Amino acid sequence: MVKTRIQLKKLLSDYGMLAILLLLCLFFSLLTLKQQQPQGQSAAKQLANAVAQKASPGERVLVVAGTQKASQDTARMVAEMLGRRSFSRVMEVRGTPRDLRLALDRLRDESERPAAIAVTSEAVEWRVWEILPEAYPEFGQVTLVTPETYYWPDFLKLSNLLAVVDRIVVIAIIAIGMTMVIITAGIDLSVGSLIALAGVISTLVMKQLGGLGAPAWTVAAGFLIGIVSCGLLGAFGGFLVARFKVAPFITTLALMMVARGLAFSITGGFSIYQVPDALTWLGQGRSLGIPNTVILLAVLYAGAHIFMSRTTLGRYIYAVGGNEEAARLSGVPVAGVIVFVYIVSAVAAGVGGCIQASQLNAGTPNAGLMYELYVIAAVVVGGTSLSGGSGTILGTLIGAFIISVVQNGMNLLGIESYTQNVVLGLVILGAVLLDRLRGGASLAFLTGRGSAD
Amino acid sequence: MFRLNMGRSLVYWVLAGAFALTLVGCGGNRLEQPSRGRIGMTCMDLTNPYFKLIANVMQKEAARHGYELVALDGNNDAAKQNNQMSDFVAQKYSAIFLNPADSRAAGEGVKKAHAAGIPVFTFDVQVADEEAKALVVSHIGSDNYQGGRLAAESMMEVTADRGKIAIISYPEISSCIFRVQGFRDYLKEHHSQLDIVTELSGKGNRNDGYATATDVLQAHPDIVAIFGVNDPSALGAYAAVVKAGREDDITVIGFDASPAGKQAVFEKKLYDTPQQFPRKMAVGTVDAFMKYLEGDALPKTTLIPCAHYRYADSVNDESRIKEQW
Repeated sequence: MVKTRIQLKKLLSDYGMLAILLLLCLFFSLLTLKQQQPQGQSAAKQLANAVAQKASPGERVLVVAGTQKASQDTARMVAEMLGRRSFSRVMEVRGTPRDLRLALDRLRDESERPAAIAVTSEAVEWRVWEILPEAYPEFGQVTLVTPETYYWPDFLKLSNLLAVVDRIVVIAIIAIGMTMVIITAGIDLSVGSLIALAGVISTLVMKQLGGLGAPAWTVAAGFLIGIVSCGLLGAFGGFLVARFKVAPFITTLALMMVARGLAFSITGGFSIYQVPDALTWLGQGRSLGIPNTVILLAVLYAGAHIFMSRTTLGRYIYAVGGNEEAARLSGVPVAGVIVFVYIVSAVAAGVGGCIQASQLNAGTPNAGLMYELYVIAAVVVGGTSLSGGSGTILGTLIGAFIISVVQNGMNLLGIESYTQNVVLGLVILGAVLLDRLRGGASLAFLTGRGSAD
Repeated sequence: MFRLNMGRSLVYWVLAGAFALTLVGCGGNRLEQPSRGRIGMTCMDLTNPYFKLIANVMQKEAARHGYELVALDGNNDAAKQNNQMSDFVAQKYSAIFLNPADSRAAGEGVKKAHAAGIPVFTFDVQVADEEAKALVVSHIGSDNYQGGRLAAESMMEVTADRGKIAIISYPEISSCIFRVQGFRDYLKEHHSQLDIVTELSGKGNRNDGYATATDVLQAHPDIVAIFGVNDPSALGAYAAVVKAGREDDITVIGFDASPAGKQAVFEKKLYDTPQQFPRKMAVGTVDAFMKYLEGDALPKTTLIPCAHYRYADSVNDESRIKEQW
């Protein structure tokens, strides 16, 4: 009895945060279960069959699609299938409701009438169908054919899961650096402003080097310069903290203002746009069908995880946070370690800034406002102790995802913005509180490295 | 120890329960009423009563046509707004009403929505990116440039076209840039004798408007009037003028005709506050969507002209008394 209780407790403490994340996913999946419009081969087949039943091959048939590519592809397939069944007068209409109206007007002017209209995905919602009898009495009774809908949670759609990653990638990457800083019992408030600074500097460099049509290397050069600038500021801050023992809170607060001010004064307060097309590759492009942001996130987290759990420098970081004096006495280069973590944090913020610039296709001086707080929240929700010495990289990743899933889920449910902040605040509080109640030894299984408890 | 553990796990479950209930409470009721579809709306700042009003009117208007409108706060953060657009797209909303927090960084969200077949309508602020602008179905907003000209007209009238004046601007926001442009152009075209000694940002809010105007009064104690590009900055400037004891010889002109601005005009704190019509904008946006769905022809851009709002307009104004826009 006591033994099972202990086992249960261990299970909870090891997998607690992950369990919360999965519960949240399940929860939002259930709530966003919704009718979906099918697309592609099966939908096309369905539509073609239905049309073949309701109309004869000689009659005029319309296939309507919206602006979406998948919808247009479906329409094309329907037309092809009907063509094979010797429907010779199939007409495809693509675009907006306006395009449909113009096509219908043309038919009327030629005193024709469609025997059947096959409607794909988003075009089903158009109100043209409702006004059809009044606006086109000449057509008489027109048969509308729509594909059968099915049920699936919006939350679990691939496009949405990618959106969940997309929205958190900047925060998650910066959280790697922040985890290291917090493990040394420090804090870095400057990361939000560094996002803006990196984005602004890198886009400005790209613009100077050529603007809209500039080759891809200008983008790489811009990113590099943006990230290095951030790294230098981070090194400066780390040096102040390590050498002069200035409180990290104050040092990085000052740097936060400096970086934000620089971002605004460099740009005169305006966003920088009309940048090279290649800029969007990082934040919006795909390699092998997987979004680049997802790949980058996975690579960086895998690297950081191995670094923190398998290398000497990684262990030094824990040692400095656990007990600085003891670490010094056992030969850990404390000052060097501290400077290092602030550089990592600033560089991570720089990378985050480049990703954000790429996602927005612009450098914005007011980017990343308040992001430092979301980053810190992700780290703490992930089980890292603000007093230093304990925490894991993968825990942080889970923390970041908890925040992202809650934000995304609430948007999917259409919860009002005011309420969203309240809920997000409560979720962060609740997650941290649960972590403390469990005894704080969260996610140690992921690294094999125990925490202070 | 055992009892302590009991207590802990109890707290654990109570917390988890409360957690779930909060979310169900917020989300559950939305699923009950089947509507024609949902419209996603995101604006630069939902804590600003101007946008709150637009959101409310849009919600009512959309409901009249059987749509549910979800209004989200862009928090003046282009990245946040971009994420919200992604969520609207993932959710296959019927339409998106966008008020860009940053007109130059809003293009990507519009392109994404267009690719997913979701029509985008912008209001109040336009998207700057030409490619994205072409994808926006229609835009409706105030004619800020013409409103700025109205402010200049009042300025020449109240100063008898003589003396030094200051502008409290907000150059981060394109609508405010247009106001200043209209203001300056009107003065130039009418060969005004007014001398604009300084133009400084009041960041569109009362605190910064106050601070900026205080500094302006230190540097240029001889100004005769101040133009604040929106009511909060104008009212902040007025507070600075009062603090300096100069309310009898410095005139302040605002912009917006917000409830606070109207009241200030009535109390003769502001001379004029060119009026915007957020209700018309909200109704117009919903109408544009309905017309779109029916396949009617739509103008690409609709600008609603502003109107003077001076003391005579305020005296019997119902909306001022009821503290409405």
